Amino acid sequence: MTAQVSEKLIYGGNKISLFTNPLSLYMKYSGIRFVSPHTANWRGYVGTWEILEHEGVERLYLVALSAHKSYEEVIGLSDVFPGYDKVFAHWFTGQLRCPQGAQLEYRHMGYGSVYEYDLLMDFKQGVLIEKHARHNQVPKKKEEKDYPSFLRRGS
Amino acid sequence: MMDALLSWRPSSWLEWLLLYILPGAVMAIFILFIAWRDRPTEFVRVITRLLSKETSLVDRLKEFLIYCFAISCVLLGWPGFMIYYYRHRIDEKANQAWQALPDFDCAPEYLVSQVNPIDAEIASYVVDPLGAVPPLPFGHLNAGWVNFLSDMTDDTDEMWSFYIPKGGKTGKYQFETTSETRGYAMVRDGKILAEFITERD
Repeated sequence: MTAQVSEKLIYGGNKISLFTNPLSLYMKYSGIRFVSPHTANWRGYVGTWEILEHEGVERLYLVALSAHKSYEEVIGLSDVFPGYDKVFAHWFTGQLRCPQGAQLEYRHMGYGSVYEYDLLMDFKQGVLIEKHARHNQVPKKKEEKDYPSFLRRGS
Repeated sequence: MMDALLSWRPSSWLEWLLLYILPGAVMAIFILFIAWRDRPTEFVRVITRLLSKETSLVDRLKEFLIYCFAISCVLLGWPGFMIYYYRHRIDEKANQAWQALPDFDCAPEYLVSQVNPIDAEIASYVVDPLGAVPPLPFGHLNAGWVNFLSDMTDDTDEMWSFYIPKGGKTGKYQFETTSETRGYAMVRDGKILAEFITERD
């Protein structure tokens, strides 16, 4: 599976990559299906998210969407959520992962690439409850002996 | 002729052996017929010939011997092949039945308590100070809730709330969840028939 184009997150005035798809549960129930424009975007859309603060509470909102209704036709947030200029992701409970810094290892699969840091944000029903950073190490290169015997070359 | 055939009984070990290998011979003919029917086309044969090294006489002899060995195995070991085929059919049917089963995140061990659909709906409205959620049960997930309710057609259907902790094993493939998962399940006669997830990553 090809590495996938990331979602975007506007945080602290910067637009950063987001290696989580908070829209997936909504997509499961909406009945809407998008078309994959290429192998680096199997889900067929790229969402832009923003954490907006109101009275000391930070919430996750979808603020823009670029979705392929067909291979040629691209639709936006107002087409999928008529009457809304932003959408509160109240269904999202879990962790957002935003890679930061240099890429330590490229992995040709989903969001598998490893970066220097991961900014991790925990949400409960769309409300930010905790955030912290994780420092990643360069992954140890696998040697022949690290694989099970049946996967080793020349065995 | 027919009477003579029916009244025939094997009298020597050779006749017994011939009688034993008869089903094997039928099976071998059937397998050879399948192999002949599925033989590569002329186009494939030409391409294969161009891509591979030239076939020597030794290679042809090896192929012939392999065929002889395989047919001997079928002639003598046909009961084993029959058992294998029967077991394979049973396994295949069981696998098809398993594939046809619905794949739910919720499992019986994650059910929490039975709930009234009206109570669940009343508690489901989302309040957002920026007004970015519709005033409907379960907000933006309302379509999923409506579909879930429409599946509850039987009087004996029960609605249960469920909670899956982070790392809980879910679905047919027993994947670990990457976040807490909450929702409602439709239960009939102790079996989960539908689910509606209200929060997850």
